[in-house]
Amino acid sequence: MTNLLEVSGISKSFGPVKVLKEISFDVRPGEVHALLGENGAGKSTLIKIVAGVINADEGEVRLDGKAVRFSSPREAAAHGIATVYQELLLFPDLSVAENIYLGHAPKTKWGTLDWNAMRAGARALLDSLDSPDLDVDTTVGKLSVANRQRVEIAKALSQDAKLVIMDEPTAALADADARRLMDVVKRLRDRGVGIIYVSHRLPEIFALADRVTVLRDGAYVGTKPIGEVTEGDLVSMMVGRAIDHLFPKVDTTPGETILEVKNLTYRNTVNDISLTVRAGEIVGIAGLIGSGRTELALTIFGITPATSGEILIDGKPVTISSPDDARRLKIAYVPEDRGSQGLIRPQTVRENVSLAILDRIARAFVVDRRKESALAKDAIERFGIRTRGPEQRVKQLSGGNQQKVVLAKWIATEPRVLIMDEPTRGIDVGAKAEIHALMSRLAGQGLAVLMISSELPEVLGMSDRVLVMRGGRIVAQFDRKDATPDAVGAAMTAAKAGASLESAPAGLRGAAAL
Amino acid sequence: MATMVMNRMLRHEVILAALLIAALIVLAGQSEHFWTADNLLNQGRLMAEVGLIALPMTFVIVTGGIDLSVGSIFGLSAILLGVFWQNLGMPLPVAMLGAVIVGAVAGLGNGFIITRFKVPPLIATLATLALYRGLAEGISQARSVRGYPDWFLGLGTNDLLGVPNQLWLMILCFVIAAFILGMTTFGRTTYAIGSNEVAARFSGLRVDRAKLLIYGASGLIAGLAAVIFVSRVSTTRSDMGTGLELDVITAVVLGGTSIFGGRGTIIGTGLGLILMQALKNGLALSGVKGDGTIVVIGAVLIAAILVGNLLSRDGD
Amino acid sequence: MSVETPALSRLVPIRRWKSFFESYGQEFVILAALIVLFVGVGLYNPRFISTNNLTSMFVGNAYIAIAAIGMSMVIISGNIDVSVGSLIGVLGTISGTMAVSGYPIILCWLVPILIGMVINAGVGVLVAYVKIPSIVVTLGMLSILKGGLISVTGGAWISGMPPEFMIAQFRLFGLPSSVYFMVVLTVLAALWMKYSVFGRTIYAIGGNPEAARVSGIRIQPSIVGVFTIHGMFAGFAAVLFATQLQVIQSTVPPNLELTVITASVVGGVSILGGTGTVLGSTLAAILFAAIGSSLVFLNVSAYWLRAVQGLMILATVLADMARRRRI
Repeated sequence: MTNLLEVSGISKSFGPVKVLKEISFDVRPGEVHALLGENGAGKSTLIKIVAGVINADEGEVRLDGKAVRFSSPREAAAHGIATVYQELLLFPDLSVAENIYLGHAPKTKWGTLDWNAMRAGARALLDSLDSPDLDVDTTVGKLSVANRQRVEIAKALSQDAKLVIMDEPTAALADADARRLMDVVKRLRDRGVGIIYVSHRLPEIFALADRVTVLRDGAYVGTKPIGEVTEGDLVSMMVGRAIDHLFPKVDTTPGETILEVKNLTYRNTVNDISLTVRAGEIVGIAGLIGSGRTELALTIFGITPATSGEILIDGKPVTISSPDDARRLKIAYVPEDRGSQGLIRPQTVRENVSLAILDRIARAFVVDRRKESALAKDAIERFGIRTRGPEQRVKQLSGGNQQKVVLAKWIATEPRVLIMDEPTRGIDVGAKAEIHALMSRLAGQGLAVLMISSELPEVLGMSDRVLVMRGGRIVAQFDRKDATPDAVGAAMTAAKAGASLESAPAGLRGAAAL
Repeated sequence: MATMVMNRMLRHEVILAALLIAALIVLAGQSEHFWTADNLLNQGRLMAEVGLIALPMTFVIVTGGIDLSVGSIFGLSAILLGVFWQNLGMPLPVAMLGAVIVGAVAGLGNGFIITRFKVPPLIATLATLALYRGLAEGISQARSVRGYPDWFLGLGTNDLLGVPNQLWLMILCFVIAAFILGMTTFGRTTYAIGSNEVAARFSGLRVDRAKLLIYGASGLIAGLAAVIFVSRVSTTRSDMGTGLELDVITAVVLGGTSIFGGRGTIIGTGLGLILMQALKNGLALSGVKGDGTIVVIGAVLIAAILVGNLLSRDGD
Repeated sequence: MSVETPALSRLVPIRRWKSFFESYGQEFVILAALIVLFVGVGLYNPRFISTNNLTSMFVGNAYIAIAAIGMSMVIISGNIDVSVGSLIGVLGTISGTMAVSGYPIILCWLVPILIGMVINAGVGVLVAYVKIPSIVVTLGMLSILKGGLISVTGGAWISGMPPEFMIAQFRLFGLPSSVYFMVVLTVLAALWMKYSVFGRTIYAIGGNPEAARVSGIRIQPSIVGVFTIHGMFAGFAAVLFATQLQVIQSTVPPNLELTVITASVVGGVSILGGTGTVLGSTLAAILFAAIGSSLVFLNVSAYWLRAVQGLMILATVLADMARRRRI
C-alpha cells in the first residue's frame, strides 16, 4: 500500500535558527500517526509545511506518491489535507453550517448560497461524527469549546480530506469531551482517513495511535509502532538522555526568602498556588502549554491580580493590583512574547531600556537624556547587546539581542525578584548561552529568580529547584539533584498519573484576559 | 543630542516647513493684504481656539485615540459660561473658571468611559459629541447670552505689546505642551502607549491614568478655548464649536502625527496649524467664502493622511 | 416583522425558536420600548397616536431608516461613515434641481443614487486600498460635501418641482410610499445580509478580520462593495428626503449622520463590527423618531433630543461592552 503522505529531508530555518533538520516520516491511509515532542521541537512548523501554510527550505513532500509543493493552505485543502488547529478559526456570529462550508459553500444554479444543501450537508457530517445533538443553525459563538472543535473537524471533513492534521485537539477539553473526540478520531481512521495527531498526552497517544514519531530540537528521533514502546521510552526520546552541561550554573547558597506566594488563585487558571523563592535561587517552573505558568506570572506581576490568596515580600503581605505595584515592590517580569509585550519595536534601544525607570532617570519629570544614554550604553556593554548603538530601533535586532534589551530594561529597575517567561525561546544557541550566563550571574548577585520554561534541558540545567505545573496547580517539586528528565517529564505529562486521562485546564494561553 | 532631535523630525516636519514657506510666499504674492502685520496678527488671534485644542489633541492622537467631542465640549462650556454668569448670577471670573471646569469634567467623562469601560475612543467620543452638544442645546434652549462687560470682551479682542492676548496664551501653551510631550516622562508614556499599549502596561507604566489625564486635558482646554472665543465674539450660542474637531484633527494630522499613534510632535502640530490657517486666510482673501474653505480643509485632511501613508511605506 | 424565508419556516423545531429569540434579542428590546413609548405617551396625550401624527412621523423619518440600512452594513464590516448626512443633502439637492430643470423624472430618481454609489465607492477605495481609517476619510468627506453644497447653492430653497417627482408623497392604500419603501428595503436588505455570500462575508470581515483573511476572503473588494451599497441606500434616502415636502432646503439636514449612526448602534449593530442586523436599525430609527415626536407631545423642549441621542448611544455601547467583556 502506498503511503498517503511521505515527508523526506525536510529542513526549515527562520532567520539564523534552524527549526527543522532533515525530517523524514510517513503516514499511511487509515492510520493515526502521533507526532510527539516538546514545545519548540518543531512539530508546529512541520505540520504547517504539510498543510501548505509555509514552505520547506529543503526536502520533499509527497501525497499519494506524487511530489507536491503547496503555495497556500487552500491548495493543500483542495488536495485533501485538512487541519484542525489549536486556535480555532471560526466565526462566532455565523452558524455552524456556514462555518463548516465557509469558502466552499454549495451554490444554487443562480449563484446564491444553497442553504438547504449546506444545512443538510452539515447535518450529515455532524452525524457521522456522532454529534446529533449539535444544531446546524446555532451561532458558533454560543457553543462550548468542545463543540466548536467538532465544528472544526466537520469543516475539515467537508473538504473530503484524506489527511487530517490535528494539533493538540484535546488541550482545552475536559475528560468526557476528550473521550468523545477520540471516538471521532477512530471513526475517521476507520473510514480510511490518515491522521497526524499532535499531542502531549501520552495516555491518549497510547489509546489512539498506531505509530508514533518523536521530534526533538528540530531533529527526527524515531518512529515506532505503538505496541513496541512504553511511556518511559517515549519520554526519553522526547527529552534526550544527556543533558548538555553547557549551562554555566554558579552554585550559590540561597539567602533569605524574598518572594512567597500562598494559596494564590485567579479565576480558574491559577489554582491555589503556594511557592517560595529565596535570594540567589533559580526556581524553574516546567509544564505543558495551558498548565497555567504564564497565568501565574501575570498574577504575581499584577496584570491579572489574584482573586484570592497572598503574596509576601520579605515576609510581609503586599497587594499587587497593577504592574506598577509589582515594579515598586522590585518585582520584574520578562514576558513570554517579547515582541508585543516586552518591547516597543519601533522605538530605539535607549528608549526601550529606560521604559521601566522613567521616573528615576528624570529630574522634576524631565527625562535626563544624558543619564538615559549612559544607561543604554552601559546596558549594551554589560549585556553584550550587539547593536549599532543606543539609537538603533529594536525591531532591527536579532531575537537574542532583543531579549537582552528586555532584560536590561528590567535589570535597570534593580529588582529583587526576577520572573522570566520562556527566556530563550526563538533564540539561537550562542545567545541562549549568554542569557543563561546572565541569569546565573544575577542569581549570584542575590536576585530571586523564577524561570518559566518549556525546554526541559534548560529547566533542568539552570534550576536549583524545579516545580511542575499542570491544570493551574503545582503537581510536583524537585530539588536539583532529584530532577531527572524522566521524573520531570513524567510529572508534566502525567505519564505515571494512573489510568485516567488528566483533566484539562480551562485556561489556554489566550484565555488570560488582559 | 542635536542629531537625535534632527533625526526624529526629519522627513515630515521638514517637508511641512518647506510647504509652509512655499505657501506663505504664494499667498504673499497673491494678495498685498496678506503679508501685513495687521493681517498676520489677526490670523494669530483667529487660530487661537483651534490651536489651543490641537495641543491636547496631539497627545490624544499620539496615544492612538481620537476625541471627536471637543467641539461639543466647546459649545457646552460656552453655554454654561453664559448660564453661570447671567442665570445663576455668579461673578464673571468665577463663571469663567466654572466653564473651564465643566470642560475638564466632560473630558474626564470621556476618559472614564474609555479606560474604565474600555469603549473604543472613536465611539465613546462620538456618543459624547452628541450628549454634550445635546446638553448645550437643551440647557440653552437656543437662547443666546449677550451683554458681557467690556473688560471681559477686551480679553479676546485686545493686544498686549501689540500682539493679541490669545496669541500670547497660545504660544505659552505651545511651549508647555512641547516641553511635556518632548521632554518629560509623561511624554514618553504617551508615545509608549501609542506605539504599543500592551508593552507599556507590561513595563509598569500607568496607562489608564495617563489616558484619563490626556482626555481630561482635552476637555479642559476646549473649555478654556470656549471662554476665549466667547470673549472675542461677545455672545454665547449653543451651536458654537460645531465642526471644530475637523479643524483640530486636520491640524494635528497635517503636522505629522500618525493617526495610528506613536508618532508626532507639538512643533509639527504648530506647523500644521499655521499652514492650515494660512490656507484659510489665502482662500478668504481670494474671495472664497467660509463654506468653500471647509471643502479645502476636508480635502487636506484626506490628502495629509494619504501622503503620510505613502511616506511610511518607504520604510520607517 | 419576520425575516425567515418561507422554505426554512417549514421546519420549525423548538430549538430554532429559542435561537431565533436569542439572536434577535436587541430587536425585541426595541420593539418593547416602542410599545411602551406608544402606550405611555399615548395615554398622556392621545394625539400622539393619532393617525395623522403617526403618518407624518413615518413619512418624515422613513428616509433615516433607509439610510441606516447602509450605515449598519458599513458598521458591521468594522467601519463607520460620518459623512452620510452631507451626502444625503448633496444628493437631495441634485435630485430636486434636476426635477426643476425638467429632466425625465426617472433620471431624477436614479442619478442621485448612482452618484451616491460612485462617491462612496471612492471612500471605500481610500479605506480599503490606501488604508486610511474610515473615520478620517469620512470626516474629510463630510466637510467636502457640506462645504461644497453650501458654496454652490448658498443654501437656497428649491421649489417648483413637478408633482410626478414627489415619490415620497405617493400613497398606496392610504399609506405614504415611504413606509412601503422602508419596509420593503429593510426586509430585502435583512434577507440579503443574512443569506447571501456577500452579506456573510461582511459579517466575517467585521467579526474576525484575521480569520477572514486566512479563509481566503478578499477583504478589499468587499469593503469597497459595502461602501458602494451604502451609497446606494443614501441615494434612496436622499430622493425620499427631497420629495417629502414641497420645497427642499439645499443644506445638510442638521445632525443627520448622528441620527443614522444612532439608529444603527441602538439597533444592535456593534461598533466593534461583526454583529447586528438591519432590522434592528430600522426599528431603532422608528423608535428614535417616535421619541422625537413624543417630546413635543410631552411638552418637553425638542432641544433635548440630541442629548437623548447621545445617552442612547452610550447606554447601548456600554451594554454591548458589558456583554462582550464581562466588565
